[in-house]
Amino acid sequence: MRKHLILLLSLGCFLLQGLTLHAQQRFTVSGYVKDQQNGESLIGISVSKAGTSLGTVTNEYGFFSLTLPAGDHELQFSYIGYATIKQTIHLTRNQQLNIKLEKSSSQLSEVVVSGKQEKAVNTLNTSINRLDIAQMKKMPTFLGEVDVLRSIQTLPGVTTVGEGANGFNVRGGATDENLILLDEAPLYNSTHMLGFFSVFNPDAVKSLNLIKGGFPAEYGGRTSSVLDIRMKDGDNQRLGLTGGIGNIFSRLAVEGPIKKDESSFIVAARRSYVDVLFKPFLKGDMADTKLYFYDVTAKGNFKLNKNNTLFVSGYLGRDVFGFGNDVNMNWGNTTGTIRWNHVFNNRLFLNMTTFYSKYDYSLKFSNEDDKQPNEPDQSSQWTSNIINYGLKPSFTYYLNTSNSFHFGVQAIYYTFKPGKGTGSQENANSEVVLNDQHALESAVYLDHEFKPSKKFGVQYGLRFSAYQYLGKGTAYYYNDTTWGTRRRLIGSREYGNNELIKGYYYLEPRISAKYSITDNHAVKVAYARTTQFMHQLSNTASPTPLDIWIPSTNNIEPQVADQYTLGYFYDAPSGLLELSAELFYKKMAHQVDYIDNANLQLNQYIEADLLPSKGRAYGVELMAKKEVGATTGWVSYTLSRTERKTPGISGEEWFLNRYDRTHNLNVVVSHDFSKRSSLSANFVYASGTPGTFADSRLEYQDWDIPYNSTDKRNNYRLPAFHRLDLSFTRKGKPHKRWQGEWVFSLYNVYARRNAYTIYFQQNDDDPSKKEAKRLSIIGSILPGITYNFKF
Amino acid sequence: MKNIRLGLLIAMVAGFTACEDTIDLQVPNGTTYPVLDAWITTEAGPQTIRLTQSVTSYTNSTPAPVLSDATITLEDLTDAKTYNFAFSNGAYSYDPGGDQSIGKVGHVYKLTVQYKGETFEATDTIKRVPSIDSITYEFKKSDESASGKEGYYAYMNAKDLEGGNDYYWIRSYRNDRQHRNTDIYAINGAFNDDVADGWVFIQPIKEGITDYDKPYQKGEKVIARIASLSHPSYYFIQQVIDQLNSGGLFAKVLENVKPNMVNVTTNGKVKMLGWFGASAVSFKEKVIE
Repeated sequence: MRKHLILLLSLGCFLLQGLTLHAQQRFTVSGYVKDQQNGESLIGISVSKAGTSLGTVTNEYGFFSLTLPAGDHELQFSYIGYATIKQTIHLTRNQQLNIKLEKSSSQLSEVVVSGKQEKAVNTLNTSINRLDIAQMKKMPTFLGEVDVLRSIQTLPGVTTVGEGANGFNVRGGATDENLILLDEAPLYNSTHMLGFFSVFNPDAVKSLNLIKGGFPAEYGGRTSSVLDIRMKDGDNQRLGLTGGIGNIFSRLAVEGPIKKDESSFIVAARRSYVDVLFKPFLKGDMADTKLYFYDVTAKGNFKLNKNNTLFVSGYLGRDVFGFGNDVNMNWGNTTGTIRWNHVFNNRLFLNMTTFYSKYDYSLKFSNEDDKQPNEPDQSSQWTSNIINYGLKPSFTYYLNTSNSFHFGVQAIYYTFKPGKGTGSQENANSEVVLNDQHALESAVYLDHEFKPSKKFGVQYGLRFSAYQYLGKGTAYYYNDTTWGTRRRLIGSREYGNNELIKGYYYLEPRISAKYSITDNHAVKVAYARTTQFMHQLSNTASPTPLDIWIPSTNNIEPQVADQYTLGYFYDAPSGLLELSAELFYKKMAHQVDYIDNANLQLNQYIEADLLPSKGRAYGVELMAKKEVGATTGWVSYTLSRTERKTPGISGEEWFLNRYDRTHNLNVVVSHDFSKRSSLSANFVYASGTPGTFADSRLEYQDWDIPYNSTDKRNNYRLPAFHRLDLSFTRKGKPHKRWQGEWVFSLYNVYARRNAYTIYFQQNDDDPSKKEAKRLSIIGSILPGITYNFKF
Repeated sequence: MKNIRLGLLIAMVAGFTACEDTIDLQVPNGTTYPVLDAWITTEAGPQTIRLTQSVTSYTNSTPAPVLSDATITLEDLTDAKTYNFAFSNGAYSYDPGGDQSIGKVGHVYKLTVQYKGETFEATDTIKRVPSIDSITYEFKKSDESASGKEGYYAYMNAKDLEGGNDYYWIRSYRNDRQHRNTDIYAINGAFNDDVADGWVFIQPIKEGITDYDKPYQKGEKVIARIASLSHPSYYFIQQVIDQLNSGGLFAKVLENVKPNMVNVTTNGKVKMLGWFGASAVSFKEKVIE
């Protein structure tokens, strides 16, 4: 507590200092930076006073504010892929300046220089990777489709348990420890088709930021990472269509101005059609097979006046599986966000976000199709959902070139319907309904970005998080038992509407500091404490769409993580090559673990099967990146370890997490042969994930039961994973309006059968033979063809 | 496996590209433990119990070494009767004679095993079981079946007993009782407590007596058995079946099945794996013609 007080005090001192130091006449220039061609606001653009280190970058809405002494200044606006603009301003009063940048036509030449301010060597934060859609499009695709989650898996510190796995792991964290935000609304399931495709339609995505450590104080609620995905605003210059036709799904997006230069919209949709293609070949039990997904992403932005802009965006995605009337399952996310950007004055910017997010699933079974004449009608249904409503006003105050402040409050109200099972036979109904749960997660934060000199900068802040598990609901109390076995219910208590069942409160200090050794070398350190109140329960190799999220309760303590980062960054003087090396150490408390044979589905007493575990992860991440020229790409390598210790499990010793990968190497290279042809390649090498293997066999009731006599979890490793992907893009001849391109891709070029899991079974034909089996999710080379167009 | 159809769907998604290979896995040999295989039923005639040594490598196909030097006693706590099981032909057995049966619905049984100077005990209760009304079947061509296998798909027609939660273990055999085919567990007529009470067994259970990868062929005999389970025995059987069906995209992590034999010897050191269970059983069979 004392530590926090000192921090608060020093924060106050800095504030005062910032406010009083500069009495000299200063004025502020502020405005928006947009793309010349389509009016998209540009994020992370360097805005600087030419020839000096004074500068800033545009925020998520393209807004910047720069306070300079009165007089003439030459301002430079630059960003990779765009022609730099220099503009001289005569600053005698506060003024507004809106800039439009034009895409550079000379992408191929090496003269394109990106802005300095946004380079890692100059920013204060560590552990952030940014990708924009242009970079994602350059990477080799899976079945011809650009995929957001697949592209972040090439970044250092990001792994998955295997191909087609649902979710990803950042710096040794579990898949539920990533806060995935789509236009600021959290998403609870990020993949379609059980993990093969991500839910984000690339036609509607502008860029993403992956924050793995050194979290700014405005982010909270998850302990391992924030994946902040921003949708396109929509072309505000002319109406256009973009789309693609591929072998798995097709996409179509329409965007255009509502009012030229000021307001625009985009609506993008996708649907897969494997089921349609296979339909003629399916008979009998398979005839009415349903297997598809779709999603719709829409956004509109309205410039109300020069100081007010309104954004409305929404997402709806659904996966549908089924056989006729027998089985019907579907699941998906629904989100909606309304944001209001308000510029109070040149220095104070407000973004007010309200959001709604829902994840739900439904399974229905009926015997309608196969019923014998004398049999009764039967049907059953199982549903579950999580809904949240959020409000986040966030302010940025640009005091001067050395000081800016980010502050705000946040509140998210959650309701959970963990599960409802109903069944009916003829007219008799029965049901199991798990109690609804409610929670309020709120926070207040302040962050100070302080750059006293060219060499040194620090961003430090404090986040106060409050979590309240609320009625109406029932709190259950369990006995203390031998760890690792199911706890026994000893009592319960009913709580009324909004009555506090259990509260948890945390102070989360955050700090990132940078010291530039020279213009091209910088060292950064960061520390962040993060907390997490929502947990996804899954004890399978990768989470299934049916794995529910539950809130922290009187029995489940929130997760807390402390992460320390040390980084070194280098930017070659030519601006062509960037290098980084980062060390991280993360300590985690109250990660959720499970007793053996835990019952996680439709179980009112699920808490009795959960165990709190301690976690630790550490590693080193190296990255080399070349962003300009005919050949671009990056190489990333991570050496890391992630472990946990759970009472009652694995002899209460540290054991490796299922998602531990000692080595993880990614090479992403793209080469432009001409303006129309390019080739890209992606190579991955990763150590095999740990697995629990049977070292003995029990004969029981004619079964051969695999048994692990060491009782240690994850005591072996699967074979190493490696894969090469290639893709070739050929753009059509440029027409006046129509632009087309063919993308040919090969996934898993040398058809390696990478192990996803290894399990132990009797031979199907000869039960006396006992075998270890390897499952490869993708066991062959997968070709893909997509035709993309823009009109 | 909560639902066979769900498994099929998952297999379909992965099926486009997934493949399964038998691999040669080097795992150091495990420690061996005595394994008790004791399941008393209401069936008339002799009851047998096996005590073996666990095989110290999963892939070693040699039969488990039989332990013959134990003393095994079964007590019917409800009737205060004791049955001493004697070892012969690789197993311990007791024959009540003629069409008599040891197991009776509603009775509580205690099994005591003395082995290497230590004593192990466990109890279980025999719950009620419904009868199987009939077995029916239909022929499917390879392109009509979800698994793509041509053959006869059999269905078990039976109904859960009304009132309370009933737990079942359903096993099918091909041709004779020496050839185990499929295993499935159920609660009431479905898979969850408090639902489907008194129902006709729902589709996935009804269809569960056929191995979809190996449907029945003409001339084969389908044998179905429903065994009633106490709640602890259900938990054990569920865990075993889940472990045996593990695999695929959402594979369950290998977890050891917990035994119920408690070593009651003061300072006892030996751990005995396996399970003592007791069931009422009902059978039905049908020859595919």
